[in-house]
Amino acid sequence: MMESPSTITARDGVAMDTNTRGWFGDLVFGVLARLAGWFILLVMAGIIIVLVSGGWRAFSAFGPGFITSTAWNPISDHFGAATSIFGTLVTTLIALVFAVPFAFGVAFWLVEMAPPALARFIETAVQLLAAVPSIIFGMWGFFIVVPFMAHYIEPVATHYLGHVPGMGLLFRGAPYGTGLLTGGLILAIMITPFICSVMTDVFVSIPAVLKESAFGLGATRWEVMRDVVLPWSRQAVMGGIMLGTGRALGETMAVTFVIGNSNRLGWSLFAPGNTIASLIALEFPESSAGSLKLSALLALGAILMIISFITLACSRIFLQRGVSN
Amino acid sequence: MNKPIMDDTTGHDTGTLALAIRNLDFWYGSNHALKDISLDFPARQVTGMIGPSGCGKSTLLRILNRMYDLYPGQRATGEVLFDGRNILSPSLDVNVLRSRIGMVFQKPTPFPMSIYDNIAFGVRLHERLSRTDMDQRVEGVLRRVALWNEVKDRLGASAAALSGGQQQRLCIARTIATRPEIILLDEPTSALDPISTARIEELLDELKQEFSIAIVTHNLQQAARCADRVAFFYMGELVEVDTADKMFTAPHAKRTQDYITGRFG
Repeated sequence: MMESPSTITARDGVAMDTNTRGWFGDLVFGVLARLAGWFILLVMAGIIIVLVSGGWRAFSAFGPGFITSTAWNPISDHFGAATSIFGTLVTTLIALVFAVPFAFGVAFWLVEMAPPALARFIETAVQLLAAVPSIIFGMWGFFIVVPFMAHYIEPVATHYLGHVPGMGLLFRGAPYGTGLLTGGLILAIMITPFICSVMTDVFVSIPAVLKESAFGLGATRWEVMRDVVLPWSRQAVMGGIMLGTGRALGETMAVTFVIGNSNRLGWSLFAPGNTIASLIALEFPESSAGSLKLSALLALGAILMIISFITLACSRIFLQRGVSN
Repeated sequence: MNKPIMDDTTGHDTGTLALAIRNLDFWYGSNHALKDISLDFPARQVTGMIGPSGCGKSTLLRILNRMYDLYPGQRATGEVLFDGRNILSPSLDVNVLRSRIGMVFQKPTPFPMSIYDNIAFGVRLHERLSRTDMDQRVEGVLRRVALWNEVKDRLGASAAALSGGQQQRLCIARTIATRPEIILLDEPTSALDPISTARIEELLDELKQEFSIAIVTHNLQQAARCADRVAFFYMGELVEVDTADKMFTAPHAKRTQDYITGRFG
C-alpha cells in the first residue's frame, strides 16, 4: 500500500556507531568473491607450471633447436616444434585471408544494406555458427569439404595456378583433399562469426550523425564505409581480427580431422601437415608417462600458449583503444 | 552561383528562389510528421525555421537533401523544386544533390582524419583537383570560416584535437568546400559556448552573400539575429512564415505569438 506523502517524516536519532545489521552476509559474500577471484589466478598458475615444468626436459634436451627442428621421431627420441609451429601459423594465416574479407562483407551488408528483419535473422544465424561445436566442423569438413577440395578445388587450382612462377609452388602437389589449405578453410568458417560480430557491433555503434555528415557531402555507402566508418573503427576491427586469430591458433578437433596429420614442412598448401594443437591431440594418448615425447608435447603446449597470449593481449589492447576512441 | 529555378507549373514567380517546397507531406512509418507544407527559400537569404521539439522542422531539413532516404519506412510526397527538378524524384542522383545542398549538424562531426583531409574528402568525391588546386580550395574555405590562422600550421593533425567551436567551423568549411548552392544547418550552435555561437552567427551573415541558407534553431534570439525570413512550425504544420522583423514583433497567428513570448515550447 502506498503511504500518502504526508505520513513520511524524518527518522531522527538512529545510532550510527555500530554495525548492527547484515555484517554476517557481507562477510561470507566478501570471502567467497575474493576466493573466486584468486582461484582464477591459481588455475592460470597451475597450467603454466605444468606446461613449463613438464616441457622442461624437452627444452633442456634440445635447447633452442627444439623450435627450429623439423624432426618428430618417437623411435630415435628426436623431437622438434618447427613443423607444427609452421602449420599452426600457416593455417591461421589462410583462415584470416578468407575470414576477414568474408566477415567484413557480411557485417557491411548486415549494417548498411540488409532489410532489418532479414538482418536480424542473419545475425542470429551468424551467432549460431559460432556455437557449432568444433567436432561437428571436423566431421563436416572430413566428409564434405575434403572430398570437395580433392575433386574440384585442388586440381583446378593446380591447373591454373600451379605454373605461375613463384606462387605456383603453393598450389602443386597431389590433391589429397586433406592438408594445410583445407585446415585453413575450416578455420576460416569457424572464426568468421567472431570477427563478424565484433565488426557488426562497432559498425552499428558509430554515431549516426557522423555517417550522415559523410552522406551529406554526397558520399556513397562504400565511400562512407571506407573513409569514415573503417578509420573510425580500425582499432576495434583489429581487435576482432585478433580475437579470431587467437581462436584459430588453438583450434584442435576440426583441424585434426582435415589437416592430414603429417610431420612435413613444404611449400605446397595441398600437402598434409599438422598444427601444434592437432599434434598434441593425436600423440598425447600414445605418450607414456615420463617419456621425452610427453615432455616435448607439453613444451609444444607452452609455445602455443605463449603465441595465444600475445595474440590475446594484442586484441585486448586494440579493443580497448577502439572503445576509448 | 544560384540559378533561378524554373517553376512554371505552380505559376509562382520563383526567379529569386533557391528552393521551393510545394504541398509536402512526410511520414515516419505511419506517423504523419509533416502536413501539406509549402515554403519558399529565397536565394542568398537566411531562412530560419523555429518551433517546439517534434514540430517537424528538423525533419523538413532532412528532406531537402534526401537524408531520410537512408532509413527505411520514411517517405515524402509532394514537390521540392530545386534547379528545375523535383528532388523527391527517385531518379535523381542523391549524391550529386547532396553535394549541391550541403548540411551542417547539431554536434560538430569531424571525420577521423586530418584537418586537411576533412575538407578534401568531400571535394574528392565530386571533383578531381590537382594538389595545388586542392591546397587552394582547402585554404580558401578555411579562410572563409576564419579558421585558417588557427590551423594553418597543423593541417595534417587530427581534426578531433580542435575545440568544439573550431570543429563546427571546420564542418561548415567542409560543407562549402563542395561549393553547394544551399547550406542546411540543423541547430548548428546548440552544442557550442556563447562565444563560438557568436562567431558562427557572424559567419552565417557573411556566407549568405554567396549561399542560400536554411537554419533550424531552438534559439529564438538566434533566429531573430540571423534570419531574413522565419517559418514557425507546430505539430507538423507550417503555421506562419514572414520576415524576421514581422515575425517577432507582430505575428499573425495566436500560436506563433504564444511560442515567441515563451508561453510554451
